[in-house]
Parts: sequence; structure tokens; C-alpha cells
Amino acid sequence: MAVDLRMPVLIVDDYRTMLRIVRNLLNKIGFTDIDEATDGKEALEKLRKRTYGLVISDWNMQPMTGFELLKEVRGDAGLSSLPFVMVTAESKAENVIAARQAGVNNYIIKPFSAEVLKAKLKTVLGDF
Amino acid sequence: MKNLRDHGLVERLTDECIDLYKIVFHRRQHLKPLLDPSFRTGELKRAIEEQRTARGEMEVAVDRILGAAERMMTIDFSNPEAAATEMSDCCGEIMEACSFQDITGQRLSQTIETLRIVDKSLDALDGDCASADETPNELSDESLLNGPALPGNGLGQDSVDALLAAGKKP
Repeated sequence: MAVDLRMPVLIVDDYRTMLRIVRNLLNKIGFTDIDEATDGKEALEKLRKRTYGLVISDWNMQPMTGFELLKEVRGDAGLSSLPFVMVTAESKAENVIAARQAGVNNYIIKPFSAEVLKAKLKTVLGDF
Repeated sequence: MKNLRDHGLVERLTDECIDLYKIVFHRRQHLKPLLDPSFRTGELKRAIEEQRTARGEMEVAVDRILGAAERMMTIDFSNPEAAATEMSDCCGEIMEACSFQDITGQRLSQTIETLRIVDKSLDALDGDCASADETPNELSDESLLNGPALPGNGLGQDSVDALLAAGKKP
């Protein structure tokens, strides 16, 4: 079954430029319902108020990092199965392993291309 | 009488030398964070490399943006469908290239943090701050918050994919 591109997607990044870039790339892929948060805390509040189909999050943010957000999401019974993609400049093996152990669905290194984002989202969500 | 005068002079000179030593020793404490070999070979060296790398990344990004803009200027609009595709590709290229702002922003943040340490030590040396002794503790990042890796130091997307795949259950 093809992915419903109308699903709400939450992108989390403390850089406005990155939010715009990811939003534009998602629009180009065909996603239409895109929401934004600028740190993990704001994202968590949004996730608990509305049902999203996907989270795309940066790692390095304050006051709550993307990694902390991931752990909160996986520890929350209502959110634990939510697809979570980390998009970050943190490219050390220890980060990838920690994110994997915390339950991340995919991990994209910045800077990335539209093709990489599309391919990883297909891996996580299925074909669209 | 002369010996007594000389004795007083020696005492005074000795006291002044001790005071001078104390001042130098005290001031040196303020510079301790900067003189620490781990700061010079770690944070300071990294800050320099971050600046160098950020400059290179900005050049690459600007080159991509200008290249896309130049391509847009030469689009043949006599074929609207092909022109629209070409325009869309160029816009995508510009958007991707703009992601440099995030990466270089993080690199600059690392440098700012290093300069802040230098500034704090100089402030303390100037007598404006109480002590710079605690500064080294602030150098350590959270263990998983390293920011963008310098060229050759981080994993590529293929290695990340392999690490993720290695953790999946068969």
C-alpha cells in the first residue's frame, strides 16, 4: 500500500534555514501537511497534542536535543511506534549506535541531498 | 650603620620579589586554561580547523548557488515543459546548497565557544573576573554533542547505513 502523503509530518530543527529546506524538499516529494518545532521540548508538546505520521529531527538543539526527544517518544506508549528519522551533522559512530539503540528508524547525515532524503523516507515509510 | 641600611634594603627587595612572584603566579593561574596543552592541541586547533572548513564549505555552497542561477539564466523557454523541469531542478539545487548555513553555523558556534574561553581568561587576567580556574570544566561537551565532524573524521552516509543495518534483527 502506498504511503499517504497527506500524513502530518513534524520537522524539528533549531535552524530556520534547515526547517525551510526540509519543508521544501518534503513538499517536492509530495507531503502536504508539514509542521515545525525548533527543539525537542516544543516537538514533544506538539506530538502529544496531535497525531503525526513521521518525525524528522535534528540532534543538537537546546533545551531538549533530538536524541532526548527520540528517547521520550520511544518511552511514551502513545508515541512509541512513531517513525523517527534523525537528520544531523553528528556523524560519529557512537551517535549512530546510540540513536539505533534508542530506536531511531533512520539516520541521515547533513548535508544531504533530496535524493537521499527521499530514499531514506521510502525505507522507513514504504513506497510513495 | 651602613650594614644596617643594606640589611633593610635587602629585606625590602626580597619582599618586593616575593610580591612580584605572587602577582606573576596569580596571573599565571588566569592563563592556565589557555596554557593547558589539551586546550591548545584540542579546542584551539579544532577552532582553527572549523574556520578553515567552514570557509571551504561556504565557497562550495556559493559555487553551487551561482551555478544554478547561471543555469536558470540560460533556460530555453521555447519548450515550457522542459523549462519547468530545469527550473525545478535548479531550485532544488539552490535549496540543497543552502543547507551549508546549518553546518557552518554549528562550526562557528564551536569557534565562538573557544573564543569565549579565551575571553574569559583574559578578563580574569585583567582583574575583571574572580578566577578562570573553573574554565577547563566548561570545555567538555556532552559526550554525544560533537557538532559537525571535520573532513575525514566523521562517518559518511554509507557507513551510517551499514551501522544501522548491523543493528537490525535478521
